[in-house]
Amino acid sequence: MAVCISIIGKDNAPLYLTTADMDKELELQYRVHAALDVVEEKCQPISKATPESKELYLGMLYSTETHKIYGFVTNTKIKFVIVVDSGNIALRENEVRAMFRNLHMLYTDAVCNPFYAPGEPLASKKFDRAVQKIMGGNA
Amino acid sequence: MRANVSQMLTHGASEPIMSRPDYEQNALHHGCLLVLLRGVGPSKPRSLQKAFDKVRRVSNVKINDSTGITRDIWVRYIHDHPVENNDWGDFQTHRRLLGLITIGKFENQTELNELCRQHESLKVRYSGTLYDSRAIFFGPSSAHVAENINSAGGDQHFTDASNLTIHDSVNLNSNSVTNHCPRLEEEYTTPSNFKAQAFFYREQDSCSDLESHIAEFIHALFWVLESKRLDRSREKVEKVSLLLAPFEKRDFVGLDMDSRSNRKRTVGRVTKNLADLSLQAGLVVDALGLYHSACETLRAIGDLLWLSASEEGLCSASAILLYPHLRESETLHRNTSLQDGPSPLRSTPEKWRASDATVKVHAPEHQHNSHPDAQGMASTVQMTSASSSCSSVSSLLTNSSTSGTPSSSSSTSTISAAQHGARSSELPSNILKPDELHGYYRRAIINYSKYGPAAIIETEAALKAARIMIEQNRPLDVAMFLQNIFFINVTMSEPERVKRLEVVSDLYHQIGYRRKAAFFQHLAALKYVQQGNPNPDWSQTYRLMLESFSGYLLSLDPMEVIDNAAGWPALQIDLLQGVIAAARRLGQSALATRHMTFLLQTQWAHMTPTEQSELSVQLQNLSAQCEGSPVPLVLENGTVIPPANLTDLPYCMDLVVRDLPAHLRPQRIKIVKADSGPFLFTPIHLNSMDRREKKKEKNKISFLWVQNNLSEVTLRLRNPLPIELTVSDMRLLTNGIVFESLPQTVILQPHVPTTVTLHGTPIEVGQLEIQGYSTHALGVKSNCRLKNMRGRKFPPNYLVDVIPALPRISVKTSLPQTATFSQLASSDIVITSASLTLYNGESSTCIVTITNDSPLPVEHLEISISSNVEQEVQKKIFIIDEKELQSKLPIQPNSSIDFTVHIYGEADFVCPIVSQRAASVHSNSTVTAALQADYAGATMGAGPYSLQYSTLSSSGHASLPSRVSSPNQQQTSYNRRNDPNNLSFRSSTSGGAPSLAALSLPPAGTQGSTHGYGQHVEAQFRVKYSGGEAMQQGYCRQCAISFNIELLPSAQITSWDVLPAEIPSQFYLVLDVSNLTAQEMSLNYTNNKSILIEAKESCRVPIPVDRCSLEQVVAAREAEYAENMEKDLCYRTQLLSFSDSISKLCSEHIAERVKISWLLAGTDIQGIASLHGIVLTSAMIDLTTVSPLEWTVSFQNTPVQPQSEIVCAAGQSAILNVSVSNQSAQPLRNLVLTIKFYQDYLNGMENYNLDTRVAISGPSRVSIPLLQKHAQIQHECTAIFFTPGRFKASIQCCSKPQETSTQSARGQLLEHKMPAVQVSDIVGSAASYHEQQEHIWKFIPPIEVTVIEQ
Repeated sequence: MAVCISIIGKDNAPLYLTTADMDKELELQYRVHAALDVVEEKCQPISKATPESKELYLGMLYSTETHKIYGFVTNTKIKFVIVVDSGNIALRENEVRAMFRNLHMLYTDAVCNPFYAPGEPLASKKFDRAVQKIMGGNA
Repeated sequence: MRANVSQMLTHGASEPIMSRPDYEQNALHHGCLLVLLRGVGPSKPRSLQKAFDKVRRVSNVKINDSTGITRDIWVRYIHDHPVENNDWGDFQTHRRLLGLITIGKFENQTELNELCRQHESLKVRYSGTLYDSRAIFFGPSSAHVAENINSAGGDQHFTDASNLTIHDSVNLNSNSVTNHCPRLEEEYTTPSNFKAQAFFYREQDSCSDLESHIAEFIHALFWVLESKRLDRSREKVEKVSLLLAPFEKRDFVGLDMDSRSNRKRTVGRVTKNLADLSLQAGLVVDALGLYHSACETLRAIGDLLWLSASEEGLCSASAILLYPHLRESETLHRNTSLQDGPSPLRSTPEKWRASDATVKVHAPEHQHNSHPDAQGMASTVQMTSASSSCSSVSSLLTNSSTSGTPSSSSSTSTISAAQHGARSSELPSNILKPDELHGYYRRAIINYSKYGPAAIIETEAALKAARIMIEQNRPLDVAMFLQNIFFINVTMSEPERVKRLEVVSDLYHQIGYRRKAAFFQHLAALKYVQQGNPNPDWSQTYRLMLESFSGYLLSLDPMEVIDNAAGWPALQIDLLQGVIAAARRLGQSALATRHMTFLLQTQWAHMTPTEQSELSVQLQNLSAQCEGSPVPLVLENGTVIPPANLTDLPYCMDLVVRDLPAHLRPQRIKIVKADSGPFLFTPIHLNSMDRREKKKEKNKISFLWVQNNLSEVTLRLRNPLPIELTVSDMRLLTNGIVFESLPQTVILQPHVPTTVTLHGTPIEVGQLEIQGYSTHALGVKSNCRLKNMRGRKFPPNYLVDVIPALPRISVKTSLPQTATFSQLASSDIVITSASLTLYNGESSTCIVTITNDSPLPVEHLEISISSNVEQEVQKKIFIIDEKELQSKLPIQPNSSIDFTVHIYGEADFVCPIVSQRAASVHSNSTVTAALQADYAGATMGAGPYSLQYSTLSSSGHASLPSRVSSPNQQQTSYNRRNDPNNLSFRSSTSGGAPSLAALSLPPAGTQGSTHGYGQHVEAQFRVKYSGGEAMQQGYCRQCAISFNIELLPSAQITSWDVLPAEIPSQFYLVLDVSNLTAQEMSLNYTNNKSILIEAKESCRVPIPVDRCSLEQVVAAREAEYAENMEKDLCYRTQLLSFSDSISKLCSEHIAERVKISWLLAGTDIQGIASLHGIVLTSAMIDLTTVSPLEWTVSFQNTPVQPQSEIVCAAGQSAILNVSVSNQSAQPLRNLVLTIKFYQDYLNGMENYNLDTRVAISGPSRVSIPLLQKHAQIQHECTAIFFTPGRFKASIQCCSKPQETSTQSARGQLLEHKMPAVQVSDIVGSAASYHEQQEHIWKFIPPIEVTVIEQ
């Protein structure tokens, strides 16, 4: 379902990135990286937005001919970026939202591991398997 | 506004569409006059750049129009303009090229002609739209005018100068041109077909009037434009023709142009066109109104394309009023882009946001209702009426003046940007609000997208919108507009696509979207060289990739990247590899090497080992073409690429600054006494000031280096690569004083830590800062500074103090060197060694040569000796003449001095050898023989006696196991057996007998016991030396010579005894001397007597020695007593025996007098054995000292001589007269004189039970209570022998100590311990020596009486 799922740390360094197609990993990395500007922009504290109703889901960051890129930011400024194939018209935004929610839970679980130091790349195999499942669309 | 909408109304490719968009355009350019500024001619020197700049500076001209209103006219200079774009001039008038300026340089007439030709051809090219043109020519400087006139211009026919001014549309004052002298235009003439106005300048001319000329030119353009505008405004509605966009030409063929909608279309388009012209002519407010009305008209009939154009125009007009400062920022941007921030990584987009805070002032004004629209409607109603009535522009002006004074509004647009916040009130009411611009642009773009041929218009509109959004600080909208650009389906060439990417990336940069900008830059970079590109431009790729660095958090400085440690490693590696590839394609091997070095240095941690080694090999290949060196590279565009150093290849694990070798280490000549006070540890630092200062400099090395002295630093390096790594030219990087570093090459095996020592010589005196080292690995020279090495606890540098040069010496000895150095302390300073084997008692000399190897004289030299033997012994072994040595100083450079060391094999010769078995018969016989010979010589005929005695004594005790080594100890163990009666010839029960008896030699060939005798003396001669300036500062060096002396046993005195001599003033010292060498030894024991001893054999020698006088004894005793009293006072212990002092005295007495010299047969090895340290028992002492009793014995009235034979007959009485006189200084008390006869069976048995054989008349035992000094006592008795035989008489005088008196004396002493002891007491006590101990004085030898039958 998703082409690429990535988790980016507070300092915009990648914590985790997986792609459906390994050959396109570099290209997708470039795209995800370029999407961070918009994420940062959307995270800017805007006076208009009320703090309590802060929406973690950022919506579509940008789209290209081939991909749609969605963003999500946790309260701790961890960014989730999911890249979806543009051709997949059946995919509804709610599903993307659900993917982010699942991903967030997985991430929280992974971070709860006492052997994980915040800021390190995520190397947990269990986490990886679960994320692959989300990417496949059967989480 | 999706891309697919644009497919709706596409037309054939044959349609004239704009070939390429003008990416630089912004909204404000709608109001500018387009002027082509071109350099012509073959050469375009830098000097012309000045002229270009001057022309460009004239971008704004204020012109008073016919009604007296000041018009603000803006000019946009472009360098290139496609002719097709002019076709869109009806659609948007600012696309028309109105003016032409060429700038050229010529050297001669031919070149001038060419310039003119080019100018003319340009004119022809744009003839459709061009209003006017100018040419600026730079001629040769006046210096070489003269030649040119003759050569080139001489035969040229001069056209009249008026030709130049013919075309002056505005009457130029020609004298400004003609000011130059000599006038260029007089020297050179333009061709006749050149019909433009030209300005001639010398090359170095300041062109001061150029600006005014250009302003004049713009005036000209304006007036033409103004006339066109007026023409347009005065046109009758009925007469106007339909304006068409280039691609629309076919659409309206055959249509009824008079239909209502088409009429409206025509009117709307004309209104829009007029608005465009008004905008260009500086009538912004007018233009606003016209645009509104055009919008209204066109919207009504659904002419979407032109509606979009009108809306865009509306936005532009509003933007001109809202953001007049954008014009200035255009030039400003150029400046900022030139001087990039020092650190692109740290420049934050926030800066940009903050600077535009003023724009947000408009935010509260936002109204999201149709109110402004309604307002606009109202004004357009007025305007439509105006246009429909074909009113003049002036009427329009009056119309619009109802809402605001046009004069003031146009003037406000020129006021500075700082005031624009307060300006909103002065703006015309029909202006678009800043918030509305977004919507208008959006709509316009959507509409444009419906027309395929208008794709370029759409692209440009999107860019313009984005720029406006940037101004409004709405980055998300910017992103949206920019993103949209890529959906526009434009058939354009690859370079154009790339250009588009670059422009977009630049805009992203402006809103602080560094990553997006970098993304597109990267994309553009790849496009330049993508496959299928016929002429790939690697230099552009390289430039773009380098520019995109900041977006990926890369900096050109590797240390910055490492410190940041952020960013996406995968992308960074990919980007760097791209840069390397680009640099390589460009043929810039230096850059490629640099970037590869950078890649390895910064991304090492993010690469797999395989990648690491692959890239390392690549680097090696790259650097083979161009060696990398740590110098900044400067690109053509001025970018400086800082050096990249491979600090961790090889990986330095630690770096240790080495002290000099111990023997070269500088020391203080005088060691300052540590003022530690009386405590071992004290927290009080008396010189704490110094110490604290030292602590401040943590990197300070505690030791010193010496000028001109090779110093070293040890590195431990690890090669992280799986391949062998050759690191060549390793040197130390230093700062401070001059340091000559020696290069070092090392080959590192994979993953094995290797220790490398780097050498160098400090040339100057002062502080040296060691910053790191430089390497040459993988073909790259790197400066590896400690401060740049991460992950290890290195200080940023090490500081070493270098002191002035010290001399350096080398030392040689005349003795052979040893293989092993001594185990003495500070053996590290030993530079040479000497070994010597000496027999005990042998003397030798050693010549030590000190050579000064340095260019400095040795002015100070000091020698001290330390060894493993006691100081006393050491002094005996080594003797140096210090004075002689000092007199030889100074040692001049490269010269040497010698000095002699005398070495003596000092040893303890008096040492009985431990025997494991009884003395062999053989050895006994030897001893006996020796003694016998001796005695024979001395006594003549007394052989049997002596033989008997010696045999007796030695055989009697030889069977006893003897494990003790000194006679003193033997005394205790054998006391029991040594009954005084046993030894007739002895004066006491001393251990003399066992000591003789103990003599035994180890069996010949038993090596095990012999090797133990050798003694090793290890000594160090420490030489402290200094000279030159360093000596003034108190530094010196210390080196040492190690002496290894093996002392072999030579002659050894294994046992000794004291025998009375024939004369009472002498005694015989009987020594058992054994030859422990392997050679025959000749022993010279008295003046003229010598004896040969076989190897490993021993013999007994008697040495007559003078007795120790009584005076000496008394003196020694008194001295010791005094000492004892002192000790007693201090320690309150019991008095020690007085005999110690006497024994010492006697021992010394003997040692002084007896010197046994030996010579090894067949060699010249000789030595002296001293008897130093001989220990005597008290019995021996009695013999050694002069006896206090003098015996006079007569038998049958004949005085008894020693060794003499007395014969008497059995049954006859014989008178034995004994007289004793006291020779000592003190009176003797309680003496008992005893006379006993006995028979000696000569087998060790002595029979005292002679009651049946001898009878003594008269007491055999006489008590003498007191014998005064010099007094004599006589005793006479008579003996009758009953049977014949051989009898012996032992006569002895025994002093029994008086218990009471001794006790009282002791008690007295005890009492007097505390108070001062009186001298009389001491003397008294000393005098009572003989009373305290039991002494036996015998008459020696015993009288032998042979009784014969009568």
